[in-house]
Order: sequence, then C-alpha cells, then structure tokens
Amino acid sequence: MSHLPSLVFYAMSAALILTAIGVVTMRSVFYSAVSLVAALTVVAGLFLLYGADFLGAAQVLVYIGGIMIIMLFVVMLSQRPHDSMERQTNDQWFRALCLALVIGISLVRGFRIFINQMVSTVVPVPTSASLGRLLLGDMLLPFETVSLILLAALVGAVLFGQDKKS
Amino acid sequence: MTLYHGLALSGIVFSIGVYGVLTRRNVLGILMSIELMFNAANIALVVFNRYLHPGNLWGQGFVLFVITVAAAEAVVGLSLVLAIYRNLKSVYTENMNLLHG
Amino acid sequence: MFELGPALSHLFQVMRSFATSHGVSPVLAILISKIIQTNIIILLVSLVPMLLVYAERKVSAFMQARLGPMNVGPWGIFQTLADGIKLMFKEDVVPSGADWWVHFMAPVVAVAPVFVCYAPVPFGQGLTPVDLNTGVLFILSVSGISTIGILLGGWGSGNKYSMLGGLRAAAQLVSFEIPRVLSVVPVLMWYGSMSLRTIALAQQGRWFNIIPKWFIFYPVIGQVAFIVFLISSVAETNRTPFDIPEAESELVAGFHTEFGGMKFALFFLAEYAYVFLASAMATALFLGGGDGFLLPNGIIPSWIWFLLKTFAIVFLFLWFRWTYPRLRVDRLMQFCWKFLMPWSFVNIALAGALVLVRMR
Repeated sequence: MSHLPSLVFYAMSAALILTAIGVVTMRSVFYSAVSLVAALTVVAGLFLLYGADFLGAAQVLVYIGGIMIIMLFVVMLSQRPHDSMERQTNDQWFRALCLALVIGISLVRGFRIFINQMVSTVVPVPTSASLGRLLLGDMLLPFETVSLILLAALVGAVLFGQDKKS
Repeated sequence: MTLYHGLALSGIVFSIGVYGVLTRRNVLGILMSIELMFNAANIALVVFNRYLHPGNLWGQGFVLFVITVAAAEAVVGLSLVLAIYRNLKSVYTENMNLLHG
Repeated sequence: MFELGPALSHLFQVMRSFATSHGVSPVLAILISKIIQTNIIILLVSLVPMLLVYAERKVSAFMQARLGPMNVGPWGIFQTLADGIKLMFKEDVVPSGADWWVHFMAPVVAVAPVFVCYAPVPFGQGLTPVDLNTGVLFILSVSGISTIGILLGGWGSGNKYSMLGGLRAAAQLVSFEIPRVLSVVPVLMWYGSMSLRTIALAQQGRWFNIIPKWFIFYPVIGQVAFIVFLISSVAETNRTPFDIPEAESELVAGFHTEFGGMKFALFFLAEYAYVFLASAMATALFLGGGDGFLLPNGIIPSWIWFLLKTFAIVFLFLWFRWTYPRLRVDRLMQFCWKFLMPWSFVNIALAGALVLVRMR
C-alpha cells in the first residue's frame, strides 16, 4: 500500500501518453479535441497528485471549462463534409517522427541526473492562500502584465471576429 | 517515484506535442499540439517546485501565468482560424499559401 | 435531537473495528467503508432528481390551477418511478448519420461531474462527505465539465440544428459561469476560506439576538451576491427564463433532440441534480447551511434545517420557471455580460472595502 502513489502515477502517465498520442494521430479532428480534453483532465489529476490543489482546480476551470470549449466550437464550426476522407498527417511525418524521438530520448536521458531526488519530507499543504499572497506580493509585476496580455487578446479576438462588410 | 519520473513524463509528452505540430495538416490540430506542449511544461514546473524548492510556490505561480497566456494565445489563434476559414473555406495548411513567393 | 453526523461516523467506526477484529486488514476496512460512503452519495444524487421532478410537476400544476399527476400512487407520488421505468425500457435509437461513440459518451460526460460535485457540500453537522480545502473552487470548476457533454451531444446528434443548439447552449453556460464564480468571491473574501463547511460554520450566531449572521444579511454585498448567484445558477442549469437551449416550444428539444430512453433520462437527471447542487451551495454559502432560524439551535437537527433551506431555494427555481417568459438568446447574453458581470465586480470592490473596515 505504500506503493499506491507510484501505482497511481504510473496509471496516470500511461493515460496521459495514450491520450496525447490520440491527439496527434487521430484522423477526425473532433476526436483529437475530445482526446485533448481527456489529456488535460489527467494533467489536472497529476497536479493534484503533486500537491498543487489550487492549480488542479484552476486547470480544470480554465483549460477544460474554457479553452477546450472554444476549441470544440471552432472544430464544429469549421468542418467540411469530406473531412473524414482527408489524411491528417502531411508528407514530413517520418522526419518529424525522428526529430520527436531525438528530442524525447535526449530529454529523458538528460533528466537522469535527478534519478535519486526523492520527495522531500514536507507534507503537502493547501496552497491557495500562499499563492494569493505570492501573486499580489512578489509576483505583482507579472500579474499586472498578464492582465495587459489578456486585454490585448480580448481586443484582438473581437477585432478578428468582426464581419467586415464593405 | 522520484523527480526523474515526473520529468521523463513531461519530456515524453513534449516530444509528442512536437511531433503533432510538425505533422498535422489541420491548423486546429497544430493548435492542440501546442496546448499539449504547454501542459508538458506545466507538469515540469510543478514537479520541480515540489521536489527541489518545497518551501516556496514560485513554480506554481508561474504555472498560473502559463495557463493564462495559453488561454490568451488560444483565443487569438482560434479567432484567426475562424477568420481564415470564413475567407478560404478550408483549415488545411497547404491552402494557406497566399504569401507564397 | 437526532444529529445524524456523529451517529453515522460512530456507526462506520464500529463497523471498521468489527471487521478488523475479524481478520480484515485495517487499510481494506477503511477502503470498504469509503466505498460504502461513496455509494450512499451516489444513491442520494440519483434519488433527489426523482423527488425534484415530482415536486416540479406538482408545483407547476398548482400554480396553473390544475392538479398534476394523481394516478400513480396516492397523489401521484410514484409518477417519477413509473417514468424512470418507462425510460429504461425504451429503445435506444442512434441516428444513422450520427457518431455512435459520441452519442454514447455525451450523456455520460454531462452527468458524471455532478456526482463528484456533491462531495464537499456540508449537509449538516459532521455530514460533509469530503471536507475539501478548495471546496467552492472544486464544485465550480468540475461543473464546467458538463458543458463538454452538451457540446458532444450537439455534435453526436448528426443534425445541423442540434449542433447549433448545442453551440448556443455551451455559449450560454460558459458566459454565465463568470458571474457565478465572481458572485461567490465576496463570500470567500469575508470568511477567508474556500471550504464550504468552514463557511457554513462561520455563519452561526446572532446580531442583536434576532438577526442570524448569515451572509445574505450583510449590507448590500450579501444581497447582491445572493441574487447574482441565484440568477447565474438558473442560467447555468438551463432553466426558464434562460432555457432557450432546450425550449420545447422553440426548437423541438435543442441539443438533446436525438437522445431517447436512458440517455435522455441521464440528461434530465443531470439538470435536476445541478439544480439541487446550486441550491445546496447557495444554502451553505449565503444562508448559513444547518444554522437554525427563529428556533433555538438544539430542537431541530442541522441536516433538517439544511434540507429545508435547500428546498426553499429549489422552490424559488421552480417558481421562476412558471412566472417569467423566456429570454431571447441575444438578450440573455446581453443580460449576462452587461448587467450581471459589472455588478459582480462592483460587489467584489464593496466587499473589499468592508474587509478593510473590518481589519481596522
């Protein structure tokens, strides 16, 4: 039973890798989007496993309840009847596969220096209050800058969404 | 379950995202693979915070900013895709070659 | 009188020690007791919508000067059971142009989050199934997953109009999530915690021995927050006056036109379970959840107070349906973005000012 966190971690990483492969290989882009929703839920679960409770809830709220809904909107609005017959991968798939394998294997080998870094004995504590103090304290400048970025994104989205009838 | 396992997972998902960005013909597929890469980076940030710096929460604060910026970028990208689709009637990248020499 | 919470935890402890003394390992005993508790919650979440459907039909009937279901059982109390049995035996028709897997997963994704969302709700003293530190945020974020189920339902119907209905429903749900989350922020600011049990417990006590210290009685911020939360919850659960996505007289049944039998029953169950969940949240956050009213605190147990207050708000939900006409979809969105959201921001600013005054 002391292996339970490891078992849960292995199960979640298997689910994440499977759904991620589903995102990049499925022929129907709608199925890719649904697979991405599943992958993001597993990532939220991983955040909870590592003790980031506020982040797990924020991930579900923002990514799944916001970004993925917009993505599903655009997928549903931009479908054409003969999409199921189109291939979804372009001609460079072999080179991309080699490059992805190189990046993946070098990352995994490179991180081996951390193989003996065990978890510290600090018990996970609720993070919401400390995150709030951090955001409005030490991280105030990035916080305000991100609000500017969001404003720019809002204006940009409204601008691109307008129908220019001349 | 050490730091290595969390980072290895993050690396694998990141490389799957790279494969997706380089391979998908559908612009929305590319955007979804970019979201995968963002999430791989988020996992790495949280894992580093938990194992190497358990005292403070800078990693998790940074993850909040990554999520926010990803949201902003997804919104702008998707409205661009919709505008392109309205004019071009297609979301496949081979047809978006108006600036081609 | 009869406090259920301590009695239940004592009962589970007795069962665990009985199992352990007869050779079951302690970890397995805890696991089995957790599984039994989870099943009790699932049973509760499945049975409450049955009660609510009957209540809706009776209340709407009495408001329309008629009697409602009277045939099945005394005053028709077994009507919902009969309806459930009928829906279970109906043939499951999937349209030929529709995607079978998406048609299958849509009701599942729409109804699964609501079972999980009932965990942090404090049903009384000692009756919180799981006292999460981020209870409010957890409920608000997980209930957003149901929107994906509605989008899947719209797509999986293989029908252009259902798809448009699904898109409109999802747009409405995503828009009204914002005033809903923002209206809860003053409560979190004032009580300094996101745990529903802590917030409900902190609202015990009286001012001048008469007025309860519930959040709804706080000057301006309590009332505005409660009203905005109530209105956005009515919109989030697709109830009239915001039920354009599933209006029967407008577009057959919107995104769930092509769903019959058990799948329709699941969508229905999800809607009523969310109504009860929203009322339970409003009770715990704004009405003191379990605190007595006018009677001293020992006579009626806290879980009966909680149920009474929750059913009062559910009655409000039902009352709205048969009083107000339906809002057109663009006026609905304007109402959200141009009225509810600015008022939630003003409310947060006022709550911040009050917190500052309290700190001095």
